[in-house]
Amino acid sequence: MSKPTSLFVIFFSLFIMSEAVFEDQVGKFDWRQQYVGKTLFAHFDSHSQSSNKLFLATDKNIFASFNSRTGDLLWRHVDKVGPEGTIDILVLHGQDALMVVGGGRLLRSWDTNMGGLNWEAVLDTGSFQAACFVAIQDTVKHVAVLKKAAISLHYLTNGHQKWVENLPDSDTVQYQAVYSGGEVEVYVLGVVPNSHLTIIAYSLEDGEIIKSVEAPWLSSVESSCVVIGQGVLMCVDPATLALYTLPIQAEEAPQFNQILLQSLDLEVSLGFQPVLVSSQPHPARSPISEFFLQLGPDHHVLLQLNADGYTIAALRDFQPAFLVSFATTGEKTVAVVMTPKNETACDINLFSADSGRRLLDTTVIFPLDLNGGKPFKLYVHAFLKKDDSVDYRVLVQTQDHALTFIQQPGRVVWTREEALADVVTMEMVDLPLTGTQAELEGEFGKKADGLFPMVLKRLSSQVILLQAWLAHLWKLFYEARKPHGQVKNEVTIETLSRDEFNLQKMMVMVTASGKCWSRQSLFIFVWSQLFGIDSKSGSILWKHYLENVQPNAVFKLIVQRTTAHFPHPPQCTLLIKDKDTGLASLHVFNPIFGRKSHIAPPALPRPILQSLLLPVIDQDYAKVLLLVDDQYKVTAFPSTKNVLQQLQEMASSIFFYLIRSDQGNLSGFRLRKDLSTERIWEVVLPTEVQKIVAVNGKRPNEHVHSQGRVMGDRSVLYKYLNPNLLAVVTESTDAHPERAFVGVFLVDGVTGRIIHEAVQRKARGPVHFVHSENWVVYEYWNTKSRRNEFSVLELFEGTELYNSTVFSSLDRPHLPQVLQQTYIFPSPITTMEATLTEKGITSRHLLVGLPSGAILSLPKMFLDPRRPEVVTEHSREENLIPYAPEMPIRTEWFINYNQTVARVKGIYTAPSGLESTCLVVAYGLDIYQTRVYPSKQFDVLKDDYDYVLISSVLFALFFATMISKRLAQVKLLNRAWR
Amino acid sequence: MWLHVRLSEVCLFLQAMFILACCFSDMESGPIATSGSVQPNGDRFKIEGRAIVPGVKTQDWISSARVTVEGEEYIGFLRTDGSFVVNDVPSGSYVVEVISPGYKFEAVRVDITSKGKMRARLVNFIKTSEVIRQPYPLQLRSSGPHTYFMKRETWGWTDFLMNPMVMMMVLPLLIIVLLPKVVNTNDPEMRKEMEQSMNMLNPNPELPDVSEFMTKLFSGSKSSSSKAIGGSKASGRPAVKRRNYCNWSCHGNYNTIFFKRAFSFVFCK
Repeated sequence: MSKPTSLFVIFFSLFIMSEAVFEDQVGKFDWRQQYVGKTLFAHFDSHSQSSNKLFLATDKNIFASFNSRTGDLLWRHVDKVGPEGTIDILVLHGQDALMVVGGGRLLRSWDTNMGGLNWEAVLDTGSFQAACFVAIQDTVKHVAVLKKAAISLHYLTNGHQKWVENLPDSDTVQYQAVYSGGEVEVYVLGVVPNSHLTIIAYSLEDGEIIKSVEAPWLSSVESSCVVIGQGVLMCVDPATLALYTLPIQAEEAPQFNQILLQSLDLEVSLGFQPVLVSSQPHPARSPISEFFLQLGPDHHVLLQLNADGYTIAALRDFQPAFLVSFATTGEKTVAVVMTPKNETACDINLFSADSGRRLLDTTVIFPLDLNGGKPFKLYVHAFLKKDDSVDYRVLVQTQDHALTFIQQPGRVVWTREEALADVVTMEMVDLPLTGTQAELEGEFGKKADGLFPMVLKRLSSQVILLQAWLAHLWKLFYEARKPHGQVKNEVTIETLSRDEFNLQKMMVMVTASGKCWSRQSLFIFVWSQLFGIDSKSGSILWKHYLENVQPNAVFKLIVQRTTAHFPHPPQCTLLIKDKDTGLASLHVFNPIFGRKSHIAPPALPRPILQSLLLPVIDQDYAKVLLLVDDQYKVTAFPSTKNVLQQLQEMASSIFFYLIRSDQGNLSGFRLRKDLSTERIWEVVLPTEVQKIVAVNGKRPNEHVHSQGRVMGDRSVLYKYLNPNLLAVVTESTDAHPERAFVGVFLVDGVTGRIIHEAVQRKARGPVHFVHSENWVVYEYWNTKSRRNEFSVLELFEGTELYNSTVFSSLDRPHLPQVLQQTYIFPSPITTMEATLTEKGITSRHLLVGLPSGAILSLPKMFLDPRRPEVVTEHSREENLIPYAPEMPIRTEWFINYNQTVARVKGIYTAPSGLESTCLVVAYGLDIYQTRVYPSKQFDVLKDDYDYVLISSVLFALFFATMISKRLAQVKLLNRAWR
Repeated sequence: MWLHVRLSEVCLFLQAMFILACCFSDMESGPIATSGSVQPNGDRFKIEGRAIVPGVKTQDWISSARVTVEGEEYIGFLRTDGSFVVNDVPSGSYVVEVISPGYKFEAVRVDITSKGKMRARLVNFIKTSEVIRQPYPLQLRSSGPHTYFMKRETWGWTDFLMNPMVMMMVLPLLIIVLLPKVVNTNDPEMRKEMEQSMNMLNPNPELPDVSEFMTKLFSGSKSSSSKAIGGSKASGRPAVKRRNYCNWSCHGNYNTIFFKRAFSFVFCK
């Protein structure tokens, strides 16, 4: 009795230790990259001259602070996803950063130094239009927030509202801009399109003056007007090709003053909407009187409003010029212009704003990446040097959301690939063998050509190995002499090769399609990007820019040929499918180098419903991809004669399924010899009651080592290992907490037989689930008890196996026994995945992404429906943990310790060459890569293995034997003499 | 509509529960704390509180922390003094948590009635209706930093010597070595007495004694093959030997390695 108990205790304590990181392992084989998304607003900290902080607000609802010297994230605040968290505006004043959030829902003030909130104020309802600082006598004390129908003034110190005013005629007038030039008045500009402009002046003490100006040509203040100089509104009209000026503060009824562009010798490119760019360096002072006018995609002019307030002087013409911007430091304002230099680089130059003169020695070269996007926006950090001349660093945002920070004379300080904040899918591909490794492999592949050459070949390869080993030793010795930290392994594509245990792989990541509206060419760029990342270091080895990917595209990444078939290059195929039309295209590439393959993908004129990768390989060792279109015709890729012949032979055993979640329809098809299909089964789940949320089969590369489980009485409970099993998850259409339910159907994909159905009453989604081996684990929200619950379904054949050699869906007369158990999980989850190892010997863990950013490694043992409520001798023999309703969450089980991964969207697991080790990549906003050892490292010596102890014990024993032998000899001799 | 219905039900139920709870505790505070912070825009309320990490300056941890209400449904950020407000929360029952990668905080359940009355209680997922009151506005005190790491098993001589298994091995050895020196074994009376006591200690002559086992183990196969073993003894020997071997090999640090190895294979099954 006592022995099993003690065993159990020992076992359990060990078990609890089994999954954890040791402190000295931090950063040894894991890394994290933090991203923020597409930059909407960027500001450099101008509070102090020496400060090197950069503040970004992004489309992922993130406000972040960076160290501009290194590009490292200092802190980051991740708000809610969706419109409630969108950042409408970010303005900086001193140490405070002001932000309007959620379409005018909240006004927040941040302490940029500490990264904490100063205050948060709830704004009245109404959609946000504009905001600006309001200053009295050179001190900024208030912020004005303009909504669709109201304007409010808030104190900067505590966010309290000073006053709020309803705007007159807000149903006809579109109020679009608010302006304050350091006077006691705040001006609100509104427009009735093509009729007139309305200017309302509010004094800080709550007075209002309304002025109305005829402006039949004006349709939008936002896009065609700026305020320059001493409160002069400057507008541009593309129809009449003229500039209009209007003094806002004028007492009497003002009039627009027209200046024809022709009179300035300026010409607008055909069909181009001219754009004005101005700058207000300090909220307490009026804007500068210089401004840029963009006349064409790469044509800008620097203009100046003369002191009389009516006439305009052209200072300098920039053609070609991609991007322009103003920057201010101290009292100096400069114009920054980016001009193309050649195919691969751009020049950035500084010009004095008030004269248009080029400042000497200010050229910065920006390298253009042919695989990336074009430059999109400039953010300039100007500062004064000791000799009072202006120096600057510039942050260039490109269309692919990448940020590049450069300083003179063109040194790239850092680059951030912000597109990686939105990874949709990924795969891990084995790295190729090195030349020597390939040669060794080749020795076994070739046909024997005589005994003697074989021996020679063997000898030569052994010599090569010896050489490589010696070189390795020499390198180790050489590096050991260098001080630590200087040793830096540059990773390049050329030096990449598979390591001993295949732990280093190439991560191929696909980012969501991004949208970028370009002002220069009036185009909306839609694109997606492919990245190749080294899994060991996290460095980006290649990237590929895919143009014209629709914004609602869905992606599927397929590895058709791995690196195992030297000399054929590995081949990956990306299936890009438009979600609305179903039209798809294929991008075939080499995953190691990122190059597009020369193999022409088939044309797909019809919408694609389903894609499946067959285990069939063509003569070039590429797996065959089948694409099913909406007429149930099948396209094979590659489609050589060889493949078609194989397909014809195998056709009767190729089945696939289609889901129509809008019709609640799940149907199975079989391939015919002529590559047409026939429907063989159909399951209809009525859409009035429930809708199909997700369908998931098992992973094709999953191995199950043991066919059954040995029970306490030494009998075997065989697992039901149906490779064709589909788990279908449904949610009820009725959302009432009493009537809502979640259903799980286990359907055989070949026969359409419903193996099992489980319905969880008083439950609703989102359902996260994992389907693997003989079990399905799913998680849902219990509406009655308001908690998250995990449920596990495990399928067993029983104590006898029906057909132990091969599994056939068509010949299984008995339904499996299904066991189920449910547990409380004390936290919501964001995603779930199971570990995967090479041979499936290692026990499984579930990797659960939590909203806190932690990734919990939960042993599958805790989710075992055979956990007993009453402990018996048998259950103890089987090492079953007694049932407890609440699942534990231990921080020791967090595989990413404090390296949280914000908004985990997916967890990717891949086996390594070691059975004990599973490679894990968690992606979301951040990317985190690590290894997990679900059963500890049983096949390699652990990294804390004590060589010194073992060798010292061995030596001690050796010497002890020597001595005792000697002593025994002496004793024998003495006895003999006696 | 159903939300309101359900909420009022919940409220009734909670009040009932609370009356029950109050019967046992003295009424020192009102049953439901009113926040008095009903906001003008519709039925939206705010959850207020303050988080403290004892002994740590706020600026060292607030920039990486945030307040989540029911997963990520509502999010609040911490002010520079550690206080927080989550705005725009409709009435209902929520689990409020301060999430920080560095420090751990207990989650609290906050119930908001449709009238905006608030109360906080301990989170209990098993007995969901149990009410153990917490202060509102929330006072969340961190119980210290998270423990993410395991401690490495270090090897020291003291650990080895203080291991009970080793003690059990060493002490008898000492006795075996030292006793003959202390007691004069040449004295026939003493020898007789010792034999008697040995017989008493070892009533079953079938079982091998430790010294025999040790010599057998160390002298290797040569001596064991030369030694004559009785048939009856041989039948019992292997099992005993295995157990002894296990005992022997289980002392010190080896036991953990041995067990871990064994269990890693058990896991796989």
